[in-house]
Amino acid sequence: MQVLNWFFQRKNESVRTKAKDRMRLMLIHDRLELPADRLSSLEEELIAVVSRYFDIDRETTRFDLQQYERRAALIANFPLLRSKC
Amino acid sequence: MSGRVIVITSGKGGVGKTTASANIGVALAQTGVSVAMVDMDIGLRNLDILMGLENRVVYNLVDVIEERCKLRQALVKDKRLPNLCLLPAAQTRDKTAVNADQMKTLCNELKTLFDYVIVDSPAGIESGFQNAVAGAEEAVVITTPEMSAVRDADRIIGLLEARKDEISQYRLVLNRIRPSMVKTNDMMSVDDVLEILSIKLLGVVPEDEGIIVSTNKGEPIAGTDNTRSGLAFRNIARRLRGEDVPLMDLDELNQGWLNKVVKFFNPARA
Ligand SMILES: Nc1ncnc2c1ncn2[C@@H]1O[C@H](COP(=O)(O)OP(=O)(O)OP(=O)(O)O)[C@@H](O)[C@H]1O
Ligand SMILES: [Mg+2]
Repeated sequence: MQVLNWFFQRKNESVRTKAKDRMRLMLIHDRLELPADRLSSLEEELIAVVSRYFDIDRETTRFDLQQYERRAALIANFPLLRSKC
Repeated sequence: MSGRVIVITSGKGGVGKTTASANIGVALAQTGVSVAMVDMDIGLRNLDILMGLENRVVYNLVDVIEERCKLRQALVKDKRLPNLCLLPAAQTRDKTAVNADQMKTLCNELKTLFDYVIVDSPAGIESGFQNAVAGAEEAVVITTPEMSAVRDADRIIGLLEARKDEISQYRLVLNRIRPSMVKTNDMMSVDDVLEILSIKLLGVVPEDEGIIVSTNKGEPIAGTDNTRSGLAFRNIARRLRGEDVPLMDLDELNQGWLNKVVKFFNPARA
């Protein structure tokens, strides 16, 4: 029984997690009145600015929207390879 | 007397505001306090039906505001609970028949007569909502665990936050929870929704066909013993009164007949 339960729970883990992730992202956009494409243009600009100073690893560059109570924070992570000056 | 005015609101339609208003009204009245329920869904009167009082409605809220009758004349007494009253909405008018100031005045008068004033609000975030919250100091936000309902609840929470000066507290009721689906991870859990909305929980009400039956009978389920949803609403009423009532065990809501048999023969497992 335990094993069976575990099996069924695993199968659908993604439905709940997916709903929660979509929900969180959607509400961050709603609360900030942020259009869907706005963040990606900001990300491109940020990459351009940082790239003027550093070679960065584009593969592992990450942007993440996090929620703190009802506020949001944009977390950016630019792995720096070398300085450009 | 200065009673508490609590507005029941949701954003999205059909998630259970009127059901919750009726049941919270009944459950509060059962604890002995005096309660007035106000139907602010003007033009879409419903609360009288859920209470089984539709045949006793003579005057309505708009009649009171336009001074065609006294407040006391418009209040309809509940069939069972002598300390419970309904102020019905007008069925043939629309939201523009009342404004926020008139609603404030009305709530202030009701507060002098009752311990609790429960205001059922219309769906949406426009004037109907603004008028319904106008006289309230507290709010109950209702949502189901579906994404569209949670999104609209978040809008409402934002609007309530903007009224911090008037609304001193607001809490969430999560309605139509299906424990079996939470268990198989097919839907968001109570904790997921609370975390995303960042709001305090007032209660959880399970999905229950009995609610539809009770609506058809005109007898809110909170008045019926031995139902999980009725108990959920009674717990909500006790929490509103300041009691610290633990949440029901969702697993228990979900037990099949086999489980019940096992527990019957072996109560130690209950
Ligand atoms: N926990 C529940 N289990 C089963 N059915 C429910 C539950 N809660 C509400 N319902 C049903 O959902 C329907 C909508 O409920 P209700 O009228 O209370 O919603 P509402 O938010 O007041 O809607 P509106 O926005 O139109 O005013 C009704 O048929 C009601 O019986
Ligand atoms: Mg309603």
